[in-house]
Amino acid sequence: MLPEPQEDTPIREEDMYQHDGHDIFVVDGHMHFWDANPENWKTKHGESWIKCFHAFHSGLSPAEEVWAFDKFCRYGEEVLVNDLFRTGYVDMAILNSTYLYEFYKNGFNTHQQNNVIKAKHPDRFLLCGSFDPRDEEAGFDPFRRMMAEYPISGLKLYTAEWRNGSRGWRLNDPWAYKYLTLAQELGIKNIHVHKGPTVYPLSADAFDVRDVDYAATDFPDLNFIVEHVGLPRLDDFCWIATQESNVYAGLSVAMAFVHLRPKYFGEIMANLLFWLGPDKLLFGSDYAIWSPKWLIDKFMAYQLPEDLKQEYHVDLTPEIKRRILGENAAHLYGIDIATQTAKLSRDGLGAAP
Amino acid sequence: MRDEVPCDFPAGYDGAAILKRLARVLDPELDEPILDLGFVRSLQLRSGHAEVALRLPTSWCAVNFAYLMAEDVRDALLSIEGIGRVTVRLGDHCAAAEIEAAVNEGRPFAEAFPDEAAGSLEALRRTFLRKGFLGRQEQLLRELRAAGCTTEAICVLRLGEMSIEDDTMVIRRPGCAPVEIGPASVLRRYSERRAELALDCSPTAPLIVDLEGKPFSVDQLQGHYEAIRTVRVALEANGSFCRALLSVQHRDAAGAAGGHANTGGRHVPA
Repeated sequence: MLPEPQEDTPIREEDMYQHDGHDIFVVDGHMHFWDANPENWKTKHGESWIKCFHAFHSGLSPAEEVWAFDKFCRYGEEVLVNDLFRTGYVDMAILNSTYLYEFYKNGFNTHQQNNVIKAKHPDRFLLCGSFDPRDEEAGFDPFRRMMAEYPISGLKLYTAEWRNGSRGWRLNDPWAYKYLTLAQELGIKNIHVHKGPTVYPLSADAFDVRDVDYAATDFPDLNFIVEHVGLPRLDDFCWIATQESNVYAGLSVAMAFVHLRPKYFGEIMANLLFWLGPDKLLFGSDYAIWSPKWLIDKFMAYQLPEDLKQEYHVDLTPEIKRRILGENAAHLYGIDIATQTAKLSRDGLGAAP
Repeated sequence: MRDEVPCDFPAGYDGAAILKRLARVLDPELDEPILDLGFVRSLQLRSGHAEVALRLPTSWCAVNFAYLMAEDVRDALLSIEGIGRVTVRLGDHCAAAEIEAAVNEGRPFAEAFPDEAAGSLEALRRTFLRKGFLGRQEQLLRELRAAGCTTEAICVLRLGEMSIEDDTMVIRRPGCAPVEIGPASVLRRYSERRAELALDCSPTAPLIVDLEGKPFSVDQLQGHYEAIRTVRVALEANGSFCRALLSVQHRDAAGAAGGHANTGGRHVPA
């Protein structure tokens, strides 16, 4: 079991994760503050969605890290703050807003819900907003309002979201391009795109990542962080990411293999390092599906096997791990690590001594 | 996992042969038999009517692939003499009702999802047959490289120079000593898929070819290997992911017997 939240953790000057004496600034590039309480389930899909997440959680977490289903549905602020900032080594976290209004009455983890926790710890979180091109022109004003009223740092796009009978959209749809243009005008730089295990029909391949290729070419000044590295389409993703200099890999889901399937984890990392290099990989926990504490402990202890090093001519050195854990994300979001660390050391949320 | 499938065959049916036929049904996305993956929950046969309960790793497994597997199971069983009707069940899959209604009546995907599906799933199936071919070719190339074959040597190998002896694949070239390469299954799987894709399988055809059947030059082969290595890793990682998810279902199913399961209600009678 995870430790219970501590109400009165003393303020600590040094709150960066250290490994072999090196400071590591950790950005959790993909995490959630969701509400999947049964009261919030709108249809049976609300239930099966969170059960599916819980299956990911139980299936790939170490046994002692598995939560009961009830806690998993709604863990609340204190648990999150504890698991990320007090015990989980995380300095900053990116709230990947996901709406799912067809499954959840108040949404799953909307930017409005996420902003509740962001407002309490403004320097700890980067908040993602979103758009849905199926709103067409009617969505422009609400999008502008969201950008004006919330501290939005990036966007999280979920192309597989259900909506009025539609089961998804593509990044290169004409209306998606209009929203990307508007987002860019309003100062957005980073776009997180969910390309991972998705869902409903469409005779086209629902996991297809090729739409990212078009958008990345046509919006060279935006960065596209492909969450879950396109799994189960790692091969297609790697191909696109080598063609486009503005495509990055969000490692959540892939990270979880470090525990149960270390050999495959090594092969995935070797391929990503081979095709993308160490500066384009971003750590993410997908909290609360998996928790940063054990992911980072295992990741830091992990050695890329010799045969993979030799075959791929890559390595996963402590220096490269440091870039993956935080420096790459800090660079994308224009965060000066020294300044930010000084700021964070004053909020009392650092690791427990 | 296939030993765990509860089966019920009446007298007069060759249960082993039926399972052998079913073993040829693959998860197209993972390029592995659904029996090995543990996706077949039970199989019952009564009066020429086969009932198969599938159990996919989550209720959100992609609908198009779920449909393809259900359809392949039906076709496989209908090809067996004495089976005239097949009912496939998908448990608590999010689209179980639509898929079952269509597959069990032999209706195409597009009819099952009139508002969603633009056409048939044949293009998708073909994409994954091709990826599977590349994944299998990577395993063959890996064995050849591990046995010390140079890129130059690999490029000139012909299909007819590969043979299977005592479950080992062996290169036999005129005037050269035979070279043992690795497990025969690697060559079998590669050759099967090559034939399925209607690529030239004559003894004089080059061993390593692209998806159009063209051989590689020495300069091209390394780049090709690096590309298909990623295809194979993607396929294996996904299989691994699905197995981990399925193990949760097994645990929960065991837990449900005690009166409580904390994920996924089961609708399929055991």
